[in-house]
Amino acid sequence: MGNSIGENMITEELLKNRSGFEEKIRKLVGRPVLLIELDMFALPCGCAGITANTRGLEVDDLDVFEPQLLPYLKEMASNLGVKPSVVFARLVPGSSIVASLNWRVLCSRCYPEFARGEGKTPRPDLYLLQFEKRK
Amino acid sequence: MKLFVPSPGHISSLKTLLEARDRIYSIFMAGSPDYIGTGRSNLASPQLEDIAAQTEYAHRHGVRVEMVLNSSCMGGRQLTPEGFRINHWYIERLVDIGVDSIVVADPYLVETIARDFDIDVVVSVLAFVDSPQKAEFYENLGASSIVIDSNVNRHFDVLHAIRDSVDCELKLLVNEGCLYRCPFRYAHFNFFSHAFGPEPRPNVLDDYYYYKCLELRIVNPELIIKSPWIRPEDIRQYRDITDVYKIGGRTHFVDWILNCTNAYHNESYEGNLMDLLDCPKDLKDLFYIPNKSLDGVIEQWKSCKKVCKRCGYCKVLTKKITQVYIKGGTESETLAPWETLSVRT
Repeated sequence: MGNSIGENMITEELLKNRSGFEEKIRKLVGRPVLLIELDMFALPCGCAGITANTRGLEVDDLDVFEPQLLPYLKEMASNLGVKPSVVFARLVPGSSIVASLNWRVLCSRCYPEFARGEGKTPRPDLYLLQFEKRK
Repeated sequence: MKLFVPSPGHISSLKTLLEARDRIYSIFMAGSPDYIGTGRSNLASPQLEDIAAQTEYAHRHGVRVEMVLNSSCMGGRQLTPEGFRINHWYIERLVDIGVDSIVVADPYLVETIARDFDIDVVVSVLAFVDSPQKAEFYENLGASSIVIDSNVNRHFDVLHAIRDSVDCELKLLVNEGCLYRCPFRYAHFNFFSHAFGPEPRPNVLDDYYYYKCLELRIVNPELIIKSPWIRPEDIRQYRDITDVYKIGGRTHFVDWILNCTNAYHNESYEGNLMDLLDCPKDLKDLFYIPNKSLDGVIEQWKSCKKVCKRCGYCKVLTKKITQVYIKGGTESETLAPWETLSVRT
């Protein structure tokens, strides 16, 4: 098993992590949240990472359970060999809906877009859970 | 029994679908979004020559073809001279091709098609016919068939009143899993009508209505039980109202459509109720609701007053039968009672 993106990553590992992460979130928030799809991705700009599309997870859950959620997010990244510079939730703006959780290794072009924003929601559809500012 | 079965919209899926032609009375599909569009999502946008080829193929195998042009919102374009001309031209072509019926949701289109063309006009479920008065209105406008608003699928008094009020064909949509009295219904179908209708189409990243619908059911699967679907086993309860049934699901694989077709044809299904529901299909990998565990429940629903707070029947039933997949997609996959995973209902 490899531990970096694209190296020997096998589908069984993704399946195992999808169900394991789903189980942890369910126990945390107390309802059967559905992790409808877990993807690893690479973008033409140079960003790469993981996306977990969620159904039944709400913005309030992030507010209330963020400290408990963060270790699970880190564990997922570690399991799939990704060292994200930003972890964020994508929201449906103006609603309670969390559409996805995202672990992203930012490229040099996209980094400033995240770095310039202020607070937890630099854009109406983003909720930052972790961001490593470069020195 | 006359079964109307969805077709994804291309000839190859139609060929597979019609392997079950002895169980199918008619297929239905959407046309090109460039003209009238439809109130639901689509996988294909068959052009006139594709529709002609599929109609010829279906007729050759003894199956009728119904075109669904049931946009719930056309932004008023249908009332403009240009819109009238385009719509008329398109319907004329469909009539020339030989399709057997056209489904529309707009009363104006019901009247103009019935007046100007020799073709069966079907009132869409998206016209929300939920009373004898509305049914009479559409029949007088020229409708030859009405798909009754699925919200009243379990209101037997209303269904009988509609049956007693009109002579035209009545159809029941049997497997729509939408929320009972869904508050998103109008906004969602209007959104679909624009997204799957003529340009300009909205460039939408996330479908709020769908996500919210899923969220509500994940929090409370009682909302799935209360959706007005009709189980295959319960079809016989509707015999004195109609023998014409429509299966929803034109965005599914043919295998799924055939599974539904067989279930309703056989009036029996062993398995997960969620397998049969057109929507919300994403939750079939979350909930397992044994269809057979619902045997006889319709007797309660036939006399249900729909005051859930006082009754609580569906709440108790949901807790009793709903299971959730744990460790889904892995070798350790198992089922657990929904109640054990939920701290709020």
